[in-house]
Amino acid sequence: MEFGKLALLGFGPEGWGLVLVRAGLMTLAVSVAAFVFGLGLGILIAWARIGGNAVLRRLAEVYVVVLRGVPDILVIYLFYFGGRQVVTAIGTGLGFEGPFDISGFVAGMLAIGLISAAGQSEVLRGAYQAVPKGMVEAGRVVGMTRLTLFRRVIAPQAMTTALPGMGNQWQSVIKETALVSVTGLVETMRQVSVAAGTTQEHFLFYAAGAVIYLCITTVSDQIFRFAERRSLRGHPQGGM
Amino acid sequence: MTDAVETKAVGPALSITGLRKTFGANEVLRGIDLSARDGDVISMIGASGSGKSTLLRCIPMLEIPDSGTVTVGEDSLSPKGGRLTRAEEATARRMRGHLGFVFQNFNLWTHRTVLQNVIEAPLFVQNRSRAEAVDEATALLEKVGLAEKRDAWPAHLSGGQQQRVAIARALAQRPRAILFDEPTSALDPELVGEVLKVIRSLAEEGRTLLIVTHEMGFARDVSSRVVLLHQGQIEEDGTPEQVFANPRSDRARAFLSGHFDRTR
Repeated sequence: MEFGKLALLGFGPEGWGLVLVRAGLMTLAVSVAAFVFGLGLGILIAWARIGGNAVLRRLAEVYVVVLRGVPDILVIYLFYFGGRQVVTAIGTGLGFEGPFDISGFVAGMLAIGLISAAGQSEVLRGAYQAVPKGMVEAGRVVGMTRLTLFRRVIAPQAMTTALPGMGNQWQSVIKETALVSVTGLVETMRQVSVAAGTTQEHFLFYAAGAVIYLCITTVSDQIFRFAERRSLRGHPQGGM
Repeated sequence: MTDAVETKAVGPALSITGLRKTFGANEVLRGIDLSARDGDVISMIGASGSGKSTLLRCIPMLEIPDSGTVTVGEDSLSPKGGRLTRAEEATARRMRGHLGFVFQNFNLWTHRTVLQNVIEAPLFVQNRSRAEAVDEATALLEKVGLAEKRDAWPAHLSGGQQQRVAIARALAQRPRAILFDEPTSALDPELVGEVLKVIRSLAEEGRTLLIVTHEMGFARDVSSRVVLLHQGQIEEDGTPEQVFANPRSDRARAFLSGHFDRTR
């Protein structure tokens, strides 16, 4: 590959630089939205499995089993194409005029969030169960309410255990967003394949795509490591 | 805030009547009656499995008794069926607020510094001001000899130091009585003395203490009363002289002689 081809990645008139940066930001946006949605749902599922009644517990278990046992791309198709069908049915039922659409961003966020919720709930549940019983008793015995106990003892203790697992969940979410490209949403994967097709420089653009993903994952890995070190303060295994 | 002098005027600091507790098929407590006046220092001794730790844990409802009544100050609970209702849970929290509890394994909160451990209950249970809580905690840490460790993490302290922090944490609640569940059993032998010294100083201040212990010499020296449990029942209850020198029952005699033979 001659050196001049790198100009294709630049920010000049011929360059795809700006477009790629924008696509990278879109990947980040879908990832954050999906992760946060997954976290909210994951907390609810973990709570149902720990403290819910028999029915809630069973429902939560089934949810986790189903979402972990089905290919991620199927869930995305289900939401994007299936979701469009459902929205259309509801829309026409209510007497509105079509065409109805569901955006790739929303479908992708929902699908990946739902998948991630299953994994995140497992991490959170494990972390909750790993909180030393003695520390919980120490909180109860000074007269803490359940809420205070959760806020002051259980949550901070569980967070330390959960952070590495949550870091992994976040990495998975970033990589899964590549699947959202099937909806036509212009995120990194979609953009590099368009660029590769247009310029016929497949190697160059897919390599550029890899670099974009690596930038996002490496930076977030550093952030999680920092948070982990902070939360390990006071623990025998170190921290700052 | 309750006025300590006023509450001390009425009734015993705590009392237990007809307490029973079963774990599965194992009847651990078989009708215990015990009460402590303010200023009593009661040591509870007995073989492992005699129920003494379970009895202590029933007082703040860490274990819920099957039947019987626990009274702490003006609050009283007679739970049924090994569970607490929502209202009973609130009463239990009030009772816990009047009791300090020191665990065998210290159970300090590892994510908080020494000082933060001590001010936690004053701030987040009793809603006292931070300045007041910190002042009092600083004085308490001084009292247990750990003023210079206030910003250390629990994991960086020795077992003896951790237990002394746990005692300061219990004192910070301004409790009417402090319960000790084998406070030196998890310690290396050379660290036992420093903890016993702190407990002894509390006894000398006239605090109300209930101590489950295997340290017979200590029990004999500091207690105003010694209670010996055997298979979930109180076998002996009297002054240290009565229980150690002239035990009434053969079982007590056997337990005590075995113990002193081994340790002396």
